[in-house]
Amino acid sequence: MNYDLVLCGVGGQGVLSIAWVIDHAVHEAGLHFKQSEVHGMAQRGGAVSAFVRISDQPVASDLIATGAASLVLSMEPMEALRYTQLLRPDGWIVTDVTPLENDAYPKHEALYQVLFSVPHLVAIDATRLAQKAGTVKAQNMVVLGAAASQLPLPTALLEKQVQELFASKGERIVKANINAFRIGAAASQFATALLAAGVPSGVLARVLPRLVFEPQPVAPASVDAWCKRLLAADGALAALRLFEAGATQSPDAVPA
Amino acid sequence: MSEVILLGDEAVARGAIDAGISAAYAYPGTPSTEIYQAIQDHVKEHDLPVRGLWSTNEKVALEEGVGVSYAGRRCMVSMKHVGLNVAADPFMNVAVSGAHGGLVLAVADDPSMHSSQNEQDSRYFADFAMVPCLEPGDQQQCYDFTREAFDLSEQLQVPVLLRLVTRLAHSRAAVTLEAPREQNKPNYVEDPSRFTLIPSNARHAYAKLIDKQPALQAYSENHAANPLTLRGDGKPGILVSGLGWNYLQEALGEALEGYNLLRIGVYPLPVKKIRQLLDASSEVWIVEEGYPFIERYVSALGLMRERPIRGKLTGDLPRIGELDSDAIRRCFGLPVNVSLKIEGLSEVLVGRPPRLCDKCPHSDAYIAINEILAEYGPGARVMGDIGCYALGYLAPYQAIHACLCMGASIGMAIGASHAGMTPSLCVIGDGTFTHSGMAPLLDAARDNTNIKVFILDNSIVAMTGGQPTMVTDEEVVDLVAGLGVPREHIRVVTPSWQKKEQTLVTIREELAYTGLSVIIARRACVTYAKQIKLYKRACEEQTE
Repeated sequence: MNYDLVLCGVGGQGVLSIAWVIDHAVHEAGLHFKQSEVHGMAQRGGAVSAFVRISDQPVASDLIATGAASLVLSMEPMEALRYTQLLRPDGWIVTDVTPLENDAYPKHEALYQVLFSVPHLVAIDATRLAQKAGTVKAQNMVVLGAAASQLPLPTALLEKQVQELFASKGERIVKANINAFRIGAAASQFATALLAAGVPSGVLARVLPRLVFEPQPVAPASVDAWCKRLLAADGALAALRLFEAGATQSPDAVPA
Repeated sequence: MSEVILLGDEAVARGAIDAGISAAYAYPGTPSTEIYQAIQDHVKEHDLPVRGLWSTNEKVALEEGVGVSYAGRRCMVSMKHVGLNVAADPFMNVAVSGAHGGLVLAVADDPSMHSSQNEQDSRYFADFAMVPCLEPGDQQQCYDFTREAFDLSEQLQVPVLLRLVTRLAHSRAAVTLEAPREQNKPNYVEDPSRFTLIPSNARHAYAKLIDKQPALQAYSENHAANPLTLRGDGKPGILVSGLGWNYLQEALGEALEGYNLLRIGVYPLPVKKIRQLLDASSEVWIVEEGYPFIERYVSALGLMRERPIRGKLTGDLPRIGELDSDAIRRCFGLPVNVSLKIEGLSEVLVGRPPRLCDKCPHSDAYIAINEILAEYGPGARVMGDIGCYALGYLAPYQAIHACLCMGASIGMAIGASHAGMTPSLCVIGDGTFTHSGMAPLLDAARDNTNIKVFILDNSIVAMTGGQPTMVTDEEVVDLVAGLGVPREHIRVVTPSWQKKEQTLVTIREELAYTGLSVIIARRACVTYAKQIKLYKRACEEQTE
């Protein structure tokens, strides 16, 4: 088993904390890994990335080869697209959709147009979901939660390491981050179920960022209702309307 | 025995602690910073009797290390590759005097220049000084080689260079630790001639260094980290070192079994083994991270005879930047993987270079400097220096027009002024100023050169993650005055939008004066505000 993933975002978005959680969970699972990261000048508001390579055999290279990554896990929608050369053709992108703009930032519509064309995508509003979890700083743990079902690791091991990472910061912070992780995981389960039911990725991508998940799985009845709604003849249109309206809603409220 | 997850840099730090160091010195510089950081954190956490400093610069750090060695105890000195240029003087000479207590110099190279101004390869320095170089290829070797380096240093009485590169320094993996060794008892050098390199002694010492070479050579020939695998005459061969081995395994996989193979992790180069590899092989690939060090050596010795060599000098491998498995696959004529293709990607993907933080004091300093320079027309030039404020070269500031090496801004401004450049301005941070800006400022003070030196005092060494600065606030003023700059031309301004007008007036006044002025732009770094408070409190407690 070999599983390569890219963690990315902008300096200061907590990419290295995600790496810490994954490393320790991988180690506890008895697997081999190498994880390279970026320090120094690039951390000053620049694009940052970390590579994690997981295997049941010793890992040789600290870098990920072209087309070898199974997952890009991103804190930012444009950064999510920066490493696609490393991604396998069937690889996944899990990302926050909240732009962190710099000088030449692309128009949001154009960016989403391209991002939402990625065939295996979980795009969520992690920034908003983190606020709901108790602190906007937990954005990174929402994104990690949203990728948890992709990783070759038991989710419980990841959650345990999230707990470890924040243990010194007090119970409130631990709870907020665990909540954030579970909210992300709920989003991921929901997305996986809809994609498995045949909902086109580009349609789901316009719904997911508008849903405010709870720190537990979405009720099966709601999942079924969304499948039916989005697989209907005007499903794509309904998704587009929801996305463009910009308002958020509970996943239990399925639009007519 | 225990297993922990460590960065390559941290594994070096733990190796040094477990090897029984009594002291450690360093100057921060990416990608080496985390070595001393980790030593410091570990020592504090476990209350170990290990002394240490973030030294004023790399030269001082190594000299402090030599002092520890002189006293018979073990010391780790760490720096980035260009730091060894600063420390080159003590380095070349402690090679001659030899070490007493174990002395290991961990130097982190930065191929691809992720955070540096060049790609220089520290293996050349070890070769130049005729001392051993250990080049770990993974995190476990970082730990093991560091421990071994101390034993080797004492056994052969030489300093040992541990060469790291960015991808190892800043990559994590699980590392198995062994039981720590006790520190040496103090045991001073008995013979004062050993470390007194006046010519009559130095000739003896140099002869001793030459005499040590066969032992160093034998050490490397027989080392398990230089394994030679011959699979049969006439097969192609590969000579690979350091991280090159990782990428090679990744790139070639099982096909590696078709090659004769010599891996190198310990220098001086094992010449006998190299000969054996060459004699057995139809052609030889040389895969190394950094400069074509081994390749040049092999070519220069004429060891190749008529066999083709394939490496960086021959154009078969990329000469610039770090290696990776894709590059090696391409060189071996193998295809690279197909990756996900996304339409329209290039239209929405723009670069995101690093930039000064929001509310950074440097940005206000540059806004003021730019406003003044505009009055002089487009030809006005500012010499810059190394640190966060080098980002002032980029838009939107574009306020500096040179940045060469640590401390160069002041000397360059002096020279440019002598060459007729008016005004001649330079900017340097408080950390870089004490690293190597004081000596050129002394020149300017003696000469009363007509230059305007901006010291951007943000109270911290920010670029490398917030290490304490040597002097800040009024201490900077006193230091500058002590170097001979008249107090009336040492001006302190606050780089902020509220105080901008005042700052502009002050700069104009000093520009109207023909002579040396130092303008200190003083405002604490916003990103490391918390650390600055901690450092200042610690300083106050120390003086109480």
